[in-house]
Amino acid sequence: MLHRRIFQFLIVYLLGIGLLFGIKIVLNLSDYVIPGPAGVWQTGQAEFSRYVGDVLDTFAVAVIGQVLSILMALGVGVAGRRATWLGSFIKVAAYNVQAYPIVAIAPILFILLGDGFLTRLFIAAMICYFPLLLSVIGIMSEPVTDIEHFYRVTGRLRWQLEVKIRAFENLHKLTTVISGSATLAMAGTIVAEFIAANAGIGYSIRIALYQSDLAKILVALFIIGITLSLYQGILELLGAGLKKVWAAG
Amino acid sequence: MILNRYICVNKKAVNPKDKVDSFSCEKMIACHDITFRYPGAEIPLFNGLEVTIDKPGFHALFGPSGVGKTTLARILSGDIDTFSGRVQALADMPCLYTHNRERLPGWSPVGRHLEKTTPPGRQQLRDELIDHFGLSTLMGMRFSQLSMGQCNRVNLLRYLLQDFGILIMDESLANVDEPTRHAILYTIKSTFPESGFLYISHNVVEVSRFCDQIVVFRGAHLSPQTRLVRGQDHREDRPLDKTAMERSMLEIMNAA
Repeated sequence: MLHRRIFQFLIVYLLGIGLLFGIKIVLNLSDYVIPGPAGVWQTGQAEFSRYVGDVLDTFAVAVIGQVLSILMALGVGVAGRRATWLGSFIKVAAYNVQAYPIVAIAPILFILLGDGFLTRLFIAAMICYFPLLLSVIGIMSEPVTDIEHFYRVTGRLRWQLEVKIRAFENLHKLTTVISGSATLAMAGTIVAEFIAANAGIGYSIRIALYQSDLAKILVALFIIGITLSLYQGILELLGAGLKKVWAAG
Repeated sequence: MILNRYICVNKKAVNPKDKVDSFSCEKMIACHDITFRYPGAEIPLFNGLEVTIDKPGFHALFGPSGVGKTTLARILSGDIDTFSGRVQALADMPCLYTHNRERLPGWSPVGRHLEKTTPPGRQQLRDELIDHFGLSTLMGMRFSQLSMGQCNRVNLLRYLLQDFGILIMDESLANVDEPTRHAILYTIKSTFPESGFLYISHNVVEVSRFCDQIVVFRGAHLSPQTRLVRGQDHREDRPLDKTAMERSMLEIMNAA
């Protein structure tokens, strides 16, 4: 699972780099526009350590934001799973808020909270929260009738058991959604850093953009991609392990 | 162990709107003038349906697919309440409906699940039924590891351990081999002689042999929609009158 994730990323990354070098050769572009392989390699050697630190900084914010989102989505999703007034309200609110681009309100957060850790965390959490919430509500509001029937007719179906049944039956879906939300959390943090923060890989990419240094951006993308692939692979392994342990009783 | 659960108390309306005033010990199930149409269906499935089963015992709902056996079962158990008419199920305990597509949760072995869902005081009954149902060797296994017939037996067993006035068994012994199925039916009849059972099956031989009263469904276009046929209500300790059973089978086929 883990090695497959990394392998997939490397294929995509190398294809992208190859496409860029292909464009450079075909259009005879200068190293200023698209640096050559040697230039990228040299930049990588020079900036790798600093960028790894920046990516880990961003990654830490993204992970905290994602964990917060997961906890909130599970709490609200469980509350909103029923076909009650509250459940319907939560669903409608989640669908409507999700349709609004959260990044668009990022400047407001920077104005109100400044460009520190909290703003980045807030944006990361907001960006992955709503898709997570919709998925959790979708999973939790779908009855597993062939299992729940017995408990329902014998009066044993408490909300805890209902959630347990639905979570167990949809553990693979939940793992995939949580793993996918890692990308969203990372993207949210980078976007936040890109807009106004003073730390993280998004901030470094913004500086590289101002310097028109594509090599630095390519190195940053490589480290971001590897880190995310590792994280998603680990999340999937954890999900599979949890299912195995749970199923083993 | 024999359970005498069936206590005749009152006529209980499944639909709260159709509560009745009178009390009676006459009928186990009495459905009067039931009309029901599934949402989006052009014609009603039931149009003034009348079904009466007068006493507890092992009875059957019989008929081809799509005539409404499961729908009537769900009406009786309270799963469907959007019908018109009156339903009276005579029992002080719930009318449970079980079907052959049910599953047990996958997080614990079958044995542990049965332990957890056995009401207090029924451990001995559970162990006896596990033995009679031929499930002793499967208690450490997960439900997903069982064959379809084993799944159905485990599922039926856990329902038999619950409090029920009437148990509706919708194809509950599907995929179970014939000797085991017969052994299970004999066990149920001897263990719960005063409970009410409605056995839904497409097996005319089995229904004629084991069931007392057989409600034969004839389809929405025929009137009356059902006919009641007497089965042999055979028990293990009695000889089987094969001629009478063949007569029951013929009556069922003619009624359908």
